[in-house]
Amino acid sequence: MPAAAEITEPLIREYITRAIADVFKTMLGRVPNFVGATEHTTGDEMSPPGPGTTNGMTPFVVGTVGFLGDVNGLIYLYLDEPFARLCTCQLLGMTDKELEEAGDEVINDAIGELTNMTVGGFKNGLCDAGYPCKLTIPSILRGSNFSIEPISSASRYIYNFESSGHKVSADILLKAGD
Amino acid sequence: MRYKILTVDDSKTVRIIVRKAFKTYDCEILEASNGVEGLAIAAKDSPDLILLDVTMPVMDGVEMLTKLKADAQLKGIPVIMLTAEGGRDNVLKIAKIGVRDYLVKPFKEEALIEKAGRVIDLKPLSEQTTKAKSIFDSADILVVEDKPVIIQQIQDGLKHTPWKIHGVSTQGEALDFCAKTPPDLMLMSLSLPEEGAFTLFRLMRTNVKTKYTPIFALVVKTETLQQQQAQTVGFSALITKPIELSELEAKICKAMNLDTSQRYFTMEPGFLIMRLPENSSPPVLAEVGNYLKPKFSEAVDAGHTRMIIDIHELKNLHMGVIKLLFQTMQTCRELTLQFGLVGNAQIITECKGFEDTRNWTFYDSIDDAKANLGKSTPAAQMAAV
Repeated sequence: MPAAAEITEPLIREYITRAIADVFKTMLGRVPNFVGATEHTTGDEMSPPGPGTTNGMTPFVVGTVGFLGDVNGLIYLYLDEPFARLCTCQLLGMTDKELEEAGDEVINDAIGELTNMTVGGFKNGLCDAGYPCKLTIPSILRGSNFSIEPISSASRYIYNFESSGHKVSADILLKAGD
Repeated sequence: MRYKILTVDDSKTVRIIVRKAFKTYDCEILEASNGVEGLAIAAKDSPDLILLDVTMPVMDGVEMLTKLKADAQLKGIPVIMLTAEGGRDNVLKIAKIGVRDYLVKPFKEEALIEKAGRVIDLKPLSEQTTKAKSIFDSADILVVEDKPVIIQQIQDGLKHTPWKIHGVSTQGEALDFCAKTPPDLMLMSLSLPEEGAFTLFRLMRTNVKTKYTPIFALVVKTETLQQQQAQTVGFSALITKPIELSELEAKICKAMNLDTSQRYFTMEPGFLIMRLPENSSPPVLAEVGNYLKPKFSEAVDAGHTRMIIDIHELKNLHMGVIKLLFQTMQTCRELTLQFGLVGNAQIITECKGFEDTRNWTFYDSIDDAKANLGKSTPAAQMAAV
């Protein structure tokens, strides 16, 4: 039986909620609240996930890290841009002005690392549950009013969080096993 | 700077966090963004600790760790994994290659400091001595060993140094000694009865006077279990029996942050003299290499315009020496320092055998170089090398 099919939604929700709480609490001293979930299994178009983002113009910084092994998948971590800036400042101990001077690359790198840690926490849960897999190198997407279309065989789970009025969403794509 | 910590991570963010975490400690942070860079810096700078990520482009952390442990010169460098790659099986697999500790991201800076502090004697910046001691300064070294012959060996082997080697045979005697004269460094035999060394180590670390004193464990080479135990507890270094005295001396110098540059560099009126010892092993060459930049700056700042490179003590030429000499000569050219070589018959013959060194010319002695550097043919020829 394909590994992805054995991993139930409650398990996925538990792992991602725990991973996001661990990373944000340890690195930033804040715990985002879970506010809702959506499951998509047929490659639905979703533009950009997150509560209250339907105007399509909210700029996002999106970190993405994959995991490969007995289970394969990809997680996109959406942070609205002001929150991405705030997280970067807190993570690196920088002021707004210093961040302005340092440029967007610093924000990209910081959000890439937060995503790496979050996906790491998620996939370590999978490893301990008997599905060994390894992380890929993070990459970053930036923009607003964009959508991600998974392939038809992928299962998609979207979990939305909120922290001090800012939105964080985890978009999880699990590929059905071969 | 006392200790060097190399952080190998493709994320600049993590490297910044590591730098920030150690900001208030007396250590130098070196950075690499992948395994290839990490190995190159490890070979060049001999760090005291490596913090290693797993998932990186070009060469990942597992490959770097495997190569590091396969390299005779580098395998002794302790490694702490700092990675998001957790999971029991992954950790066990990587731990088997040989790591000192494992920290899974996300991590708190305090946790990183705590783990690093078990491997090296991290001292807050405010605790550091303002002026580095030199190898010519006296120091009190306490050896706690129940076998008098070992104490005698250490005393004999280090008698050429200005250090006072005190020997005691029991834990009680050691405590009495430390109460009167806190030593600059301690060596404790792990063969003391009833795990006495471990108890004594813990007592030393809770005493404000000896909290940061470097403490070496003396242990038989084949007692690997005891060696692992000592590393876990946080001994500053392991000295294996039979004792290799030159290695012991080098480790003492490093642990006490002694300025050893006078072994290799001297300033004389008008001249900077660099001298390579008979045993110019890779660690010695790395040490000399680390002093090159500051010593050249010091010499130029003091108005010296000539340099003598004395390699007459060397028994043979090897690639490490040649590379260092090229680096030295290049720096001389950049600073427009005149330079000359002093060698011996064997070295001069060997130089003729290499394409890159066959044009090197030598003065007969330091006095000859001092008298003629800048006036005679050798200097002119050297400038063209």
